[in-house]
Amino acid sequence: MSQFLEQIINGLVLGGIYALIAVGYTMVYGIIQLINFAHGEIFMFGAYIALMLITVFGIPFWIALPLSMILCGMLGMLIDLVAYRPLRNAPRLSALITAIGMSLALQNLARMIWSARPRQFSPEVLPTIFLSQNAVTLPGGASLPYRDVFIMVLALVLMVALNRLIYLTKIGKAMRACAQNPVAANLMGIRTNRVIAITFIIGSALGAVAGIMVGLREVVTPTMGYYKGVAAFAAAVLGGIGNITGAMLGGIIIGLAEVFGAGYISSGYRLAIAYIIMIGVIVIRPSGLFGKSTGHRA
Amino acid sequence: MKNQLTPKNITFGLFICFLPLLMYGIDAIALFLSHRNIYLGFPSGDYMLRIIVRAYLYMLLAIGLNIVCGFTGLLDLGYVGFYLIGGYTAGLLMARLGVNYWIALPLAVLNGALWGLLRGAPTLRLTGDYFAIVTFGFAELLFRIVKNEQWLIGGPNGLVRDIPPPSILGVVFNQNWHNYYHILILLILVVFIAYRLQHSRVGRAWVAIREDEQAAESMGINVSRYKALAFAVSAAIGGLGGGFVAQFQVNISAPFFEFWESILILCMVVLGGMGSIRGAMIGAAILGSLGEVLRPGFIIPYQFGGSRYLIFGLILILLMRFRPGGLTLRKAS
Repeated sequence: MSQFLEQIINGLVLGGIYALIAVGYTMVYGIIQLINFAHGEIFMFGAYIALMLITVFGIPFWIALPLSMILCGMLGMLIDLVAYRPLRNAPRLSALITAIGMSLALQNLARMIWSARPRQFSPEVLPTIFLSQNAVTLPGGASLPYRDVFIMVLALVLMVALNRLIYLTKIGKAMRACAQNPVAANLMGIRTNRVIAITFIIGSALGAVAGIMVGLREVVTPTMGYYKGVAAFAAAVLGGIGNITGAMLGGIIIGLAEVFGAGYISSGYRLAIAYIIMIGVIVIRPSGLFGKSTGHRA
Repeated sequence: MKNQLTPKNITFGLFICFLPLLMYGIDAIALFLSHRNIYLGFPSGDYMLRIIVRAYLYMLLAIGLNIVCGFTGLLDLGYVGFYLIGGYTAGLLMARLGVNYWIALPLAVLNGALWGLLRGAPTLRLTGDYFAIVTFGFAELLFRIVKNEQWLIGGPNGLVRDIPPPSILGVVFNQNWHNYYHILILLILVVFIAYRLQHSRVGRAWVAIREDEQAAESMGINVSRYKALAFAVSAAIGGLGGGFVAQFQVNISAPFFEFWESILILCMVVLGGMGSIRGAMIGAAILGSLGEVLRPGFIIPYQFGGSRYLIFGLILILLMRFRPGGLTLRKAS
């Protein structure tokens, strides 16, 4: 029973992390219809940047977190500016191949800079509340580390904030307009390119937070962007790509499915479960669980 | 684009056929100079020959991927899956069941084609990104299965050991130059098939589907059938490459068929220009040999192990930005 409860907690925490990454995929897809493969790498860079800020520059965790978000946001904007913006009117295949190339380049850049060795936030540089032995014991004997509580709360707060941003602010309205019809939005005086850049910044900043969260629980490696990125992408597809609420729920579902699959089926198939869900959704219902039935998009 | 024996094509073909002579020539010169105590630091001819065999293998795979990516215009991110199927079909049949290579190879091809159709069936209606994602997931699933299912493969991490070399009438083909002529014959066969297909009714139908699927359908082209044919042919060529590589490598294991291999082959097709057979071959020749030269420890120090793929990634980005038609084609497709 306690093991079951711990699995659920693990799944929810992982799901929150996936949801934060998935939002980045889905927002970009909603506006420019591009699968930003490099998003997983931005998430990985977020973890590494925070790690470097804390261990090399000795910056406290609470400052390193927003700083890493800002730096990653700029990285995301830069990627859009350099690689995707020139291809806005090119065939879709070109942009997709560019995204793959960007992902490949960034992942191996990270491998060159930080080597393939897995790294960790060492316990002495973190606030003591994040140490894994600091936990509440739930009824039934399951332990719930404060770290996991922090991750879940932060993920929830960011999600709600993002939701409010999109539905209540002027920039959010501009984003929704661009997602509906970029040409018409441009004619109405919305600077489409700026809105797209802001979308990239927000998505990348959220990705950076997710990267740091993974760093708190697991190790940081150059390939984590690829593995976690695919699972998060599966979450975005499951929720209906382009749909932000769907991405959040999809993240939770994929997180739970992955943890339970690894726990009760086989740990070797941890990632395969996300792939199976992803393929199943695309083949059976391409619009996802919560998407409008738009048929198959080109 | 006419199917002709132009001087350019003939020169290109002859160059490919007689590359090993050039390599052994360089080797002979290096050997001659070493007797005079001049050392060039050039890799030996046998090693170079192995690199060339790998480059030809990549040419073969690039031509296969080109059929789906270039001709029908669908982005296939899981091509390595068919390579894996071919490799394990031939490898397991030969190492575990003792089947003759000349029977195992066609079976690998057939199995590849079968899986191409199996994967193709649910993806016929998908286009663009979704097709790419499904193909990617398919290859990753195959990779996980091979990696995890020890009862099926027989070794940890998908390891199949001691795949016997092929033989005819007691002559065992285990030398590098055997492999060279072996892959050369397969490559010529594949180039021939691909050229004939490209310039036939089928090839024109594929290009029509690439340019505008709906228009093609309204012109009376059975889109599903031609797409399925493209998947099958492409996958069969992947299976052929896998069957060859099983006996060439002697031992195969799962990391050999990782996702990045797909991207590498895609990179070759894009570099040469999607939709052009010669382009795919040139791309494979450049990246196939460049990849070998840029292997860590040779020119690049070990700590920069990732730089090979960093360069491939940059090639993809720069090509799409400045020359989307690749090296051989003038305008974007």
